[in-house]
Amino acid sequence: MSEAILQVEDLHIWFDLDEGELHAVQGVSFELEPGERMGLVGESGCGKTTTILAVMGLLPANASVAGRVLFNGEDILEEGENTVAPHRWKDIAMVFQGAMNAFNPVKRIGDQIAEPMELHGTARGRQAKGRVGDLLELVGIPGSRADRYPHEFSGGMRQRAAIAMALACGPKILLADEPTTALDVMVQAQILELLVGLTEELGLALVFVTHDLPVVAQTCGRAAVMYAGRIAEEGATADLYHDARHPYTRLLFAATPDLHGKEKIISIPGSPPRLDRVITGCPFQPRCDRAFAPCPTVTPRTVSVAERHVAACHLNEVPAERLGEAGATGAR
Amino acid sequence: MTMEAVPPPGGTVAAPVHSNQSRRGALRRLLAGDRQALVGTVVLALFVAVAVAAPVLSPYSPTAKVGDVYGRPSPAHWLGLDDGGIDMLTLLIWGARVSLLVGFAASLMAMLIGGTVGILSGYMGGKTDTVLMRVTDYFLVIPDVPLMIVVAAIWGQSLFNIVVIIAVIYWTSTARLIRSQVKSVREQVYVKRARSLGASNARLIIKHVLPQVTPLLVANTVLTVATAIFAETYIAFLGLGDPSQVSWGKLIQNSLTGGAIFSDAWWAIVPPGICVTLVILACTMVGQSMEDAMNPRLKVGHLSVHRFRLRSFPREPGGV
Amino acid sequence: MRGADYLIKRTGAALLTVFVAITLNFVLFRAVPGSAITALRCQHCTKQFKAALEKELGLDKPMLQQYTIYLGNLAQGDLGTSLVDRRPVWQNLKGPILNTLPMLAVATIVSIVIGVAAGVMSAWRRGTKVDRINTWTALSFYAMPTQWIGLMIVFYVALRFGFPVAGIRDPTLGILGEPSTWTVINDRIRHLILPALTLGIGLYGEYALIVRSSMLETLGEDYVLTARAKGLKNLRIVYRHGLRNAMLPLVTLIALSFGYILAGAIVIEEVFSYPGIGLATIDAIDRRDYPVLQGAFLLLTLTVIFFNFVADLLYFKLDPRVTA
Repeated sequence: MSEAILQVEDLHIWFDLDEGELHAVQGVSFELEPGERMGLVGESGCGKTTTILAVMGLLPANASVAGRVLFNGEDILEEGENTVAPHRWKDIAMVFQGAMNAFNPVKRIGDQIAEPMELHGTARGRQAKGRVGDLLELVGIPGSRADRYPHEFSGGMRQRAAIAMALACGPKILLADEPTTALDVMVQAQILELLVGLTEELGLALVFVTHDLPVVAQTCGRAAVMYAGRIAEEGATADLYHDARHPYTRLLFAATPDLHGKEKIISIPGSPPRLDRVITGCPFQPRCDRAFAPCPTVTPRTVSVAERHVAACHLNEVPAERLGEAGATGAR
Repeated sequence: MTMEAVPPPGGTVAAPVHSNQSRRGALRRLLAGDRQALVGTVVLALFVAVAVAAPVLSPYSPTAKVGDVYGRPSPAHWLGLDDGGIDMLTLLIWGARVSLLVGFAASLMAMLIGGTVGILSGYMGGKTDTVLMRVTDYFLVIPDVPLMIVVAAIWGQSLFNIVVIIAVIYWTSTARLIRSQVKSVREQVYVKRARSLGASNARLIIKHVLPQVTPLLVANTVLTVATAIFAETYIAFLGLGDPSQVSWGKLIQNSLTGGAIFSDAWWAIVPPGICVTLVILACTMVGQSMEDAMNPRLKVGHLSVHRFRLRSFPREPGGV
Repeated sequence: MRGADYLIKRTGAALLTVFVAITLNFVLFRAVPGSAITALRCQHCTKQFKAALEKELGLDKPMLQQYTIYLGNLAQGDLGTSLVDRRPVWQNLKGPILNTLPMLAVATIVSIVIGVAAGVMSAWRRGTKVDRINTWTALSFYAMPTQWIGLMIVFYVALRFGFPVAGIRDPTLGILGEPSTWTVINDRIRHLILPALTLGIGLYGEYALIVRSSMLETLGEDYVLTARAKGLKNLRIVYRHGLRNAMLPLVTLIALSFGYILAGAIVIEEVFSYPGIGLATIDAIDRRDYPVLQGAFLLLTLTVIFFNFVADLLYFKLDPRVTA
């Protein structure tokens, strides 16, 4: 446990809105080891993006945070902005959705990649320029393109450039927020391959946020499934697939046609609960096909169901014999 | 909804309105709940009421000399007298009539012209669209002020002419706005048309396009009222207004030509301008709120002077 | 080459608009109902006088011929002759134009500086009291009739603090001997400063609101979040990423609002009796000196078209996304 490069402990995030307070993240905890690739999966609005934004302290002014985020054992959220800012880009970097305007449209790509280098003293002037060229080559873009503007790049190339930019200051952790959503399938595969290759080669840890399960299955060894601001289940991707211990995980995998399917929309009937009200019992209960007596009223605890595999579901606290009555878990 | 700072032309955060059916209802709800729109509406209503009730409300006749030139304010004359010895308060009240009339009439006319051009352009598309847009473009490029001056100087100075001139200059922005709105609505209408073969274009426009476009049209008209009143004061100041009518613009002009400055007569200078400013502000508040309700911009700021806060939270009992 | 294509298109469009403006100028003043033009000049003149005037102005010729003559004259820089002082129109307008230019320049600079400062400050402190006060103030000044602002300033400021409120030069200057260059410049500035400042106040409101809006939009863009993620400090982000992007709409707005700036200048010159092109235009209206009015209208229109053209070019230069 002490080897973990990133530890998130009981993270809570609230947003202060006009209509009230939104409890967007409700007690999220996970760990990441150096060089490990972990997926953070869930429907939109489940809090996964908010969680990784919090890891870098990129929350807006109307947000409040509780809990700890440990980088190499040190709590970087201890004093909020002051303690987390020094780690930005040098230790932890982020790749946003390339379809977004992650690049400033009126500045050249090369300048934007060099910007953090000059800021953090990683490289300057001509040296920085050289490094920019190297980074671009690393992600498969000809170095000469550094002088171009973002709108001159295709979606896939922009995403590669975003990855290059993220690597500019040699971070140890890469946070990727839906990096392949809005790209077409062919390009998606290339970007995924690039990410996996780079993280292996550079020994980077990766948190891959997405709502797309097949992608996680392809790239990550471990994954955490989030629902309504909480972690429903976390474990090795293979375990989640073969031995899901939370109905939501099982339904997620079942809802996806096949591992290479193009269908990205997860369809489980119903919709996630509102997070501006206190939820009693299990948040998934209204949509769950295995709900029983305690579910509407008692909040399930996160229990360990196997080696490095946890889940928050009452079904895991029921003695084995009763499980047989309720029907088999797992099994596609 | 909290009273945000008055929205600039670009708009600010507002409650999202999604379906088309709820648009009209949203307008009503908005006016009830949005403090800013409410204040604006009340102020406007007050001025309109004063204008309508002018014959009853005004203490004296707007043409009767009741005292000295630039008589000081007194209990009998709250706002003193102008350079003709006429009661200022009376003039202001009657001036409201003319100014508001011109404002609303010109704006209405601009809306009719602009709305028609916009709807036709957006709905018909193709050649009609291109031609109409070309015309609109040329109207836009000719600078409004010199045009206003010249036309007013040539075609004479009657109230009707002024209204027409203002309308003719300002219809273009309405046309453009409505056109883009209609274009986005057109797709739905064509689907309906396929289903109801035999319905004429006119019927489709009236039944389907118009309801969707009306809220935006109304909001735009309110904003144009502000522009029209501003334009009227301008034309009047240049001496091109209707000489037989008293408007706030004319009162402002009078204060210059009548030597109010050198007579130290603040009551002749200050009030008309304040009235104009208040009415224009009120129109802007109402119109902008309406527009915001229809085009919500939910942009969250990534930067702020303030930072996110830390707080403590009791640990959940149990857990791993 | 990206530039050439766009340049040619835009120049072509501008020239076409110029032509339309020239023609419109002609049409407005000649194609009026009846002999409204001569009616403008004097209502009580004799028929013979009117006929002579018509002949002098060439109004008795067929319309198309008039038009050709008009175009020909324009090509030679002849804007006609004033009906009042019989001098060429250009002579009448040249001096006023030179007077207006510095006043306009100062006014525009003042309004931009105040507008940008207010707008950025407002956007930066969005939702706070500072923002609200700023926005309301800007909106209020924007709503006030420019001439009224002028009158208020003259009444409450100029007279009280001894600023000149008429003309562009002190008439007593030079009576007792040749004034030094410095005195002359000083005198000019004293006469120019209040009208310019007043016009600036009348204009800044619109800019402040646009800058605020533009800045808020920019600050909500994703690349701002990226910049923050990269470790840039807030102020640095505002300067490096915010301003540059937010100013784009402002630059074109200023060029496009030149018509509004001119309108304000006209009334301000009237209020301050500042002998610029605005006052010349108003005088021409008052005296029904229609050749001068026509000349002024043409010049004003051409200037506005020119600035629209400049706006196009500027936007093209500043925003790399814009293509022909």
